[in-house]
Amino acid sequence: MRPLEGIRVLDFTHVLAGPFATRLLGDMGADIVKINSVARATAINATNNPYYTMWNRNKRALALDMSRDEAKRTCKDLCAKADVVIDNFSVGVLDRWGVGYDLVSALNPDVIYVQMSGMGQGGPWSDFVTYAPTIHALSGLTHLTGVEGRADIGIGFSYNDHAAGLHGAVAILAAIQARRSTGKGQRVDLSQFEVGVNLLGPALLDLFGNGRAARPAGNRLPYDEVAPHNCYPCAGAVSDDIADERWVAIACMSDVHWHEFRRVMGEPEWSSAPAYATAKGRVTAIEELDRQIGLWTGQLDAAEVMARCQAAGVPAGVVQNSIDLAENDPQIAASDFLMTFDEPNPVIGTTYGDRLPLTFSLTPCDTYARVRDVGEDNASVLSDWLSMDSEDVVKGENAGYFA
Amino acid sequence: MAQEVGALSEVRIVDLTDERAIYGAKLLADMGADIVRPESPDGDPLRKRGPFCEDDANEPSLWHAFFASNRRFVSLDLQTQSGLDQLTGLVRNADIVLVSEGAFGVAEANLDDALGVNPALVCVECSSFGREGPWKSYLAPDIVAGALGGAVSTTGDVDTPPLKAFGDLNFIVSGSYVAIAALSALNHAKETGQGQRVHVPVHQCIASCLEHVFMWYWYSALLGPARGQALERRGSLHWSNMYVVMQALGGSIMVTPTPNIDAQLAWLIEAGEFEDLIEPKYQDPANQSQFMVRLMEVLRSFVGSKDVEALFLEAQSRHAPYGWVLPIEKVGENPQLEARDWWRSYSIGKHEVKGPGTPYRFSETPWQMKPYVDSDVDAEHVLQDLGWDDDR
Repeated sequence: MRPLEGIRVLDFTHVLAGPFATRLLGDMGADIVKINSVARATAINATNNPYYTMWNRNKRALALDMSRDEAKRTCKDLCAKADVVIDNFSVGVLDRWGVGYDLVSALNPDVIYVQMSGMGQGGPWSDFVTYAPTIHALSGLTHLTGVEGRADIGIGFSYNDHAAGLHGAVAILAAIQARRSTGKGQRVDLSQFEVGVNLLGPALLDLFGNGRAARPAGNRLPYDEVAPHNCYPCAGAVSDDIADERWVAIACMSDVHWHEFRRVMGEPEWSSAPAYATAKGRVTAIEELDRQIGLWTGQLDAAEVMARCQAAGVPAGVVQNSIDLAENDPQIAASDFLMTFDEPNPVIGTTYGDRLPLTFSLTPCDTYARVRDVGEDNASVLSDWLSMDSEDVVKGENAGYFA
Repeated sequence: MAQEVGALSEVRIVDLTDERAIYGAKLLADMGADIVRPESPDGDPLRKRGPFCEDDANEPSLWHAFFASNRRFVSLDLQTQSGLDQLTGLVRNADIVLVSEGAFGVAEANLDDALGVNPALVCVECSSFGREGPWKSYLAPDIVAGALGGAVSTTGDVDTPPLKAFGDLNFIVSGSYVAIAALSALNHAKETGQGQRVHVPVHQCIASCLEHVFMWYWYSALLGPARGQALERRGSLHWSNMYVVMQALGGSIMVTPTPNIDAQLAWLIEAGEFEDLIEPKYQDPANQSQFMVRLMEVLRSFVGSKDVEALFLEAQSRHAPYGWVLPIEKVGENPQLEARDWWRSYSIGKHEVKGPGTPYRFSETPWQMKPYVDSDVDAEHVLQDLGWDDDR
């Protein structure tokens, strides 16, 4: 038994943020019914797209052509049976499909109705269209993730989609607990923009409390005297390609770390300069400090630097790329974190996944079902949720509204 | 007993976390859980994290006020039997205990004993690398965790080192997982009466939140054009090649032709700035990649002559998901956040500071902000409630 078994989730989400939230719940045993349709299953919504396969495991697939009245009626019936209804469309899509919050909550007062829109319900930007890079830009994350003098670097992947997915899962689970206490369902309005802005909490308090606007700090900690705290080049690149460069992160969070790090480096003469004796001094002289450390690490293999530092109690880690993680990371290997799905995808063949990074002592979550094709679970879902007989399911499939 | 507000107002939690998991405790606290955060008589070391009120390290930490919001603090001297008994009482009478490996009170909390006494107890234990394996004792503050977890390697540019994201984004991921673990196990405990332990390794948490890293490793041959299995850092250019920051007049803007490339092309044609994009060669599907490269080049020229704010609003009016790259002071003035009444007042000792609201809103169990105290002035009340058994 997994910890969320018995919870029914009707999943209208797409792309990453919403599907990641429901993937987490599905990994923990919730019955996730993913709504898709033949017409919508294109590009990254296609069930054989690698991106789609990453976020939609452990879900059952129901096909509904929401342009058809029969599908809308069935959808309404499903909403009446759901513990959770979730979408991450722009504001208003589910209303247009006839399953907006007012209608669904009237049918099903216990429902937890989660809307993970880009900007939230209401406000002058509520119908703005966003992807994670949009949110990064608007929230300040792009401006602040970079080096001094540049505000055009940011995060090269959709971090905020993951963050929104995690927060979506937290909100759903909290609302389930609230329903246990109050006996009532409720509406959860999750703004992915507000998720992103929230991530900069201390910097925002500093802005409003002290009138100080944060600026890009590279790898330094913007508010604390900590040095060295950076990524340093290492030897061992297998080509001139930037993807093959080798780097190590070193973070001396205390004077004790610094003293041990000096020993690891063999106590070079430059490191005994009085300026480096205190964290404040090291921060003041950070450019020369980083240069000297880079000269040392540049002669060494990144894994060797990490091992020597960690053996001395100094925080350090190889800047790992995907090959490092998948092939050389002993922790990933020891935890059996990466897996291959038992059943191949009919189109792209073997598919892969990373396991839920949570280990429950009593309710282990070790079931991983491959991504299902559009409508592949029509019969089981409609039988389980609505007691629909198979003839009606086939009729709907042949008529195209369950397709 | 805390005022009963919020989705989790009937849930009692002991918070023995450090940076790796404190965000999870914050999420639960902000939804109304009654959370006690014990600290040593010397004070929580996280109270030393900047920034500080009045930019003075002798004043309360704004970092701590954010991450330790809505808590009750209690000072426990674990060198004394009294202190140990108080910790034991708290833990045994909680619904959930959140711990970071090695944090204050964890070694003394006797979680096995507590589970024996309270079988419905949920214990969520966060560590950097897990309980086994060659790195299990490695030290990993946020930048090291991000480096080993894969988040750093693709952030930065050709002329910078690999970069960590601003703030504590790696530990926000692990903290979020801690909250998910706690609430999932709580659900099971409420349904069955059975508590359990849940382990949360930061390393795997970070690796699970990289949309591109493992996907590119596994499916690079399908995703083309060929770039190998390891992605490089290349500034703001998204791994998909479809999102990049460009310079406009008066600022930068994140530009993307997705999700409707035809609409983007129509906009350029309407503006008379389409250059060679409608040449027949680009209609050939075999030249699609070439077309996309050229489209981004034309967009860069198009964007460069436009006022950034006007361009952003025009794009959004056309349902194009451009994003104006805002410095934090402009975020603080954002009209959407103002209209949604998002900001909250943080009462931090003698200071009142405007700060972030929550990332979600519950229609029936709204969030409320409790005053933050910079010391254990709550201790007397908490210890009076020790075990919380007065109203259990």
